[in-house]
Amino acid sequence: MTRGRLLIVAAVAAATALTVGPPVASRSSARGVYTGAQADQGATIYAARCAMCHGRQLEGTVEIPALSGKFVANWASRPVGDLFDYIARAMPQPAPGSLSSDDNARLVAFLLRANGAPAGNQALPADRQALRRIDFDTVPPL
Amino acid sequence: MRLSPDQLIDVKCCIRPLRAAGPNLDVEHVGDRLVVHNYGHGGSGWSLSWGSAEIAVGKALSVLPERVAVVGCGIVGLTSAIMAQRAGLQVTIYAKELIPRTRSFRASGSFTPSSRVALAGPAGPQFGDRWEQMARFSWKMFRTYLGLPGAPVDFGDSYGLSDAPVEPRSRAADPAITDNYETSGLPRQNAEFAHLDDRIRDIVPRSVVLSREENPFAAAHVQRSSHMFFNFPAYANALLDEFFSRSGRFVMRNFNSPRELTELPEKVIIHATGYAARDLWQDRTIIPVRGQTGWLVPQPEANYSIRSGNMSAISKGDGIVLMNNNPDLGDMLGVGDSTEIPTRAPIEGAMASLARRLAPALSQDVSA
Repeated sequence: MTRGRLLIVAAVAAATALTVGPPVASRSSARGVYTGAQADQGATIYAARCAMCHGRQLEGTVEIPALSGKFVANWASRPVGDLFDYIARAMPQPAPGSLSSDDNARLVAFLLRANGAPAGNQALPADRQALRRIDFDTVPPL
Repeated sequence: MRLSPDQLIDVKCCIRPLRAAGPNLDVEHVGDRLVVHNYGHGGSGWSLSWGSAEIAVGKALSVLPERVAVVGCGIVGLTSAIMAQRAGLQVTIYAKELIPRTRSFRASGSFTPSSRVALAGPAGPQFGDRWEQMARFSWKMFRTYLGLPGAPVDFGDSYGLSDAPVEPRSRAADPAITDNYETSGLPRQNAEFAHLDDRIRDIVPRSVVLSREENPFAAAHVQRSSHMFFNFPAYANALLDEFFSRSGRFVMRNFNSPRELTELPEKVIIHATGYAARDLWQDRTIIPVRGQTGWLVPQPEANYSIRSGNMSAISKGDGIVLMNNNPDLGDMLGVGDSTEIPTRAPIEGAMASLARRLAPALSQDVSA
């Protein structure tokens, strides 16, 4: 590549960066995106609002989805925000939309913990936009 | 027929996707994908599946695809997939589950083509013709499954029992109820529902009144009819066998928004997610209508069904299916209720009540 061409490439890259703004780094659920206390609170909410259908061990039934195992296949490799949004819209099924955003975040923290994601120092935000930048990543195989 | 509460082996609950205007069979674009809808069949999904699939697949074929995706693997998705295969297309089903774990499998399995299929007002006068087309087409397709090993689709005698002479059901609107779907988002009385069964009276067997000599039941008035039902395991297996033997592919997949359909390699997509379309497509005209069934082990020696006061016990190859549908509420039972947890008490109540209609000697243990 000639020096001139390099300059053009650099200029184009700079221009692109200028238009889009600096890329916001995604955080990974494998790096501790919720606190243990938050997940504990989520467990209490789960017991009261979710366990009646999904089971005390999150095991589900033939008819009702388990919230571990296959759950990861359905929800991992995408932003945690997708799960948060789904719960906000559609759960609990008999009374969709009845969870507060804070409780929803606590539940998601509980579900992340139940599916192997480690706790960290920072609470999971109860904010859709922020959750779009946190990925639900699978735990590396043993 | 032996009806005894301590013999229940299963209680299942599900939500019928009643769509106010009737099943959605519209076509729309999502990005560069063509989406053909096929959802919202209320309590008539099994019964209308083939006719509905014929319409949806016809729309898909009109853009000459070689392959199509089907999203959803309940009875409507699966029959859509098979109809597309029979038309020579390569088909991949994307769904969370295969049919045995879908809501379809929690139905009762009776041919009920106009059960909570639409509200008469929102569906409009033209819906009757569309419904009749689907019902007649499906009826003929079901006949191709009769007499096969395992009886995937079968007919049985059904006895309607009552103490008073059976009167034609009145569905006149109650003027005291002023709210309706348009004003409140939910139907408020039976008269709002589309009742269309009369349109296919010429092909569905009529009931006959039994004389006192022919009547073995503890009921003064008895009518007998032939009724068609689906044996879920045999029928689902027949459908899945055909789908996979025609090189059908199944991919476990969860969709969060219509936009995600553009990630699929297929350019033409049949969308058949039933009640889940309420969330996935944000179709708020879908009204949940809860229903539940109890199941006893199969009693092939009792190859008949009884019903009385909207409670029924239907003997099928996959068990005796019990229902307790409140006669006063009619179509309104379960409307707006999206709770999918079964409750045993109404099922046990139906068993006790129906057992008293059988010969007293046989029902002593329950009616005592």
